[in-house]
Amino acid sequence: MHLVKTMKGKMLLTLISGFIISIIYFSLPFLVIEATEEPKTFLTHSGAVIQTSGDVLDPLYVASTVEFDPMEYLREFNYGRVSQLPDGTTLREFTIIAEDDKVMEVSPGVFYNVWTFNGTVPGPTIRATEGDLVRINFINNGAKSHTMHFHGIHPAEMDGVFEPVGPGGGQFTYEFTAGPVGVHPYHCHVMPLEEHIVHGLYGVYIVDPKEGRPAADEMVMVLNGLDTDFDTENNFYAANTIPFYYQHHPIQINLNELIRVYVVNMVEFDPINNLHLHGTLYHYYPTGTDTVPSFYTDMITLSQTERGIMEFKYDYPGKYLFHAHKVEFSEKGWIGMFLVKENPDQKSQSGIEYGT
Amino acid sequence: MELSNKPSKGKLIASGIIPFIFLIIMVAYIFGPGSELLDLGVPLPEISMEKINFVDSEILVTVRNTGPIPVEIVMADVNDRIQPAAIEPDRFLERYETAVVRIPFDWNEAQPYLIGLTVGDGTRFEKEIEAAALALEPNFELVGFFAIIGIYVGIIPIMIGLLWLPFIKKIGKNKYHFFLALTAGLLLFLGIDSVEEALKVSEESLAGSFNGALLVATVIVLSFLGLYYSAEKLVKRAESSRMTKPVAIALMIAIGIGLHNFGEGLAIGAAVGLGSIAFSTFLIVGFALHNTTEGIAIAAPMSRGKTMIGKLAGLGMIAGAPAIFGAWVGGFVYSPFAAVVFLSIGAGAIFQVIITILRWIREEGDKNLSSAAVASGFAVGMLIMYLTSIFV
Repeated sequence: MHLVKTMKGKMLLTLISGFIISIIYFSLPFLVIEATEEPKTFLTHSGAVIQTSGDVLDPLYVASTVEFDPMEYLREFNYGRVSQLPDGTTLREFTIIAEDDKVMEVSPGVFYNVWTFNGTVPGPTIRATEGDLVRINFINNGAKSHTMHFHGIHPAEMDGVFEPVGPGGGQFTYEFTAGPVGVHPYHCHVMPLEEHIVHGLYGVYIVDPKEGRPAADEMVMVLNGLDTDFDTENNFYAANTIPFYYQHHPIQINLNELIRVYVVNMVEFDPINNLHLHGTLYHYYPTGTDTVPSFYTDMITLSQTERGIMEFKYDYPGKYLFHAHKVEFSEKGWIGMFLVKENPDQKSQSGIEYGT
Repeated sequence: MELSNKPSKGKLIASGIIPFIFLIIMVAYIFGPGSELLDLGVPLPEISMEKINFVDSEILVTVRNTGPIPVEIVMADVNDRIQPAAIEPDRFLERYETAVVRIPFDWNEAQPYLIGLTVGDGTRFEKEIEAAALALEPNFELVGFFAIIGIYVGIIPIMIGLLWLPFIKKIGKNKYHFFLALTAGLLLFLGIDSVEEALKVSEESLAGSFNGALLVATVIVLSFLGLYYSAEKLVKRAESSRMTKPVAIALMIAIGIGLHNFGEGLAIGAAVGLGSIAFSTFLIVGFALHNTTEGIAIAAPMSRGKTMIGKLAGLGMIAGAPAIFGAWVGGFVYSPFAAVVFLSIGAGAIFQVIITILRWIREEGDKNLSSAAVASGFAVGMLIMYLTSIFV
């Protein structure tokens, strides 16, 4: 009897003390947390320097750790394997491989399943001259059907809509004459279309006029968004996929040199996007199909797949922002910077070589 | 007896332990290395923002991993706009681990804010703050402020309620039963109020993995049983000591109400601390009116003994003073888990007190709980509480 009684007492004591300890643990977490040493610092958007004993949460990529390098993509144009047909037409052959199983660190710490053309989002920039024959050997190594649908002029069966290319190595050859002159998007056109686009199956297709373009420092900017939690709202926006990248790694350009930007808006979910440039204005050629600019402005509005060519020069050296003036987008990553440098030997950037 | 027990004792222990061993083997098999037997479905990350403090040019978010898998916190935002931030001690959170996210941000007083945190798979969690207010630093001025609120809300109204004692003393048996039943009605309302509050807090601020509603139920039952057990002891001892039964019952009621008022103080302190209410004099008046009725609850059983001013005042303090401690705890070290637990303890205590009162009425009054006096008293008690609650 006595034994039972003391056991009961002990059990009660254990129960009560366990209860109290768990309350303390859950209610006063700071007692359990131990601070670590070696403080780190980071900059706020307003420039204040903050010190922390913990980790910094800042979507700030270092050039060496980024999986997809926006700086490399910016000025990379693919002219294909070039050969001459018997009738003198230039043939440009490209091999594009679609995949849909890649998980990429799109922003530091944020992992997202990207669907890619040739391993990147956006896919490679395909460039040809008006009248060239473009041949694309498309291979689908993904787990779903995919296609390539080009904006432009081509036969119906080359439209990449009604001929889904099966998963696991399906093939299709797209062939068409390059045209019209301008800047166009290409993207997968398999249903559900929105899903295939927002996961990253798109890229830029540039058609140059036969007479060529004036020499310039050329670059491609695809304005895109990432819906990492699948709630049909973008969590990130960017120029060329990686949020805030060009803000922390400014694009270096030369004073007084002509800059030509091929800009394509691929943002889904939000009806519009826009582009505002600081410190100068640009001549804007909507869709790039005309040789005369339509606007001289520092702000254009772009709807889905709306695109164009911007040409501008800087008169003063220094740092200049470019960003969405829909500021929500810029605060979620669609913001960048030009670093204009005084360069005594001009034209250090490459002019245009029509791919060989 | 001890000796003869020995051989069977071994068996007894073994038979008690064997099921546990099988349980351990099963768990080890399911979770053990190489076992993918139950590796179905995708576990989703979940985090809870338990506390958000606005300090000088910074927003401090206490975050807990309340999901089934470890998470990495990778990004912070304010109003869905990404902000550079820091997380201490580090961004990797094991299950139930907490960290503090520091978001440097020039926030504006009284403005609503939406705080968001994103984890490694891109899932974003958010929590809304109705009105930003500077986090309270425990200083003497504030300690005093909370004490004054506690006195206004807890002690003074109860003392006023106790002043009805002479009145209740003079009335007849039937009317007395009416007042006892009224007390039970008041308390039932308070109990339901506590449960509702506990469920509300658990729903709003407690992660799903705490099983909020079941936590409330469990704590209520534990608190009820604990007090039920000790009340029996107290009443039994009262019979053999100089404490009379009415005093013992009044003491139980005072303890029950005290626990409830601690929860109430916690809620008030937390509300002030989190900036979710502006503490107006109107609100204090509402609470005061509401709590005056608690004094009647203590006075009613006491009216059948000698009038003991000292004891009465003591009981009033037991019932009212916890509001002060509650306000301190709520204002300075608020945690939703503690709030839920204390509110539930209060509810359990009150339900126990109701049982005690009803039993007493039955014993006193002809084994009858369905007399007009009792029924109407109960109903009026609920009604009074409801009407005074409108002011809060």
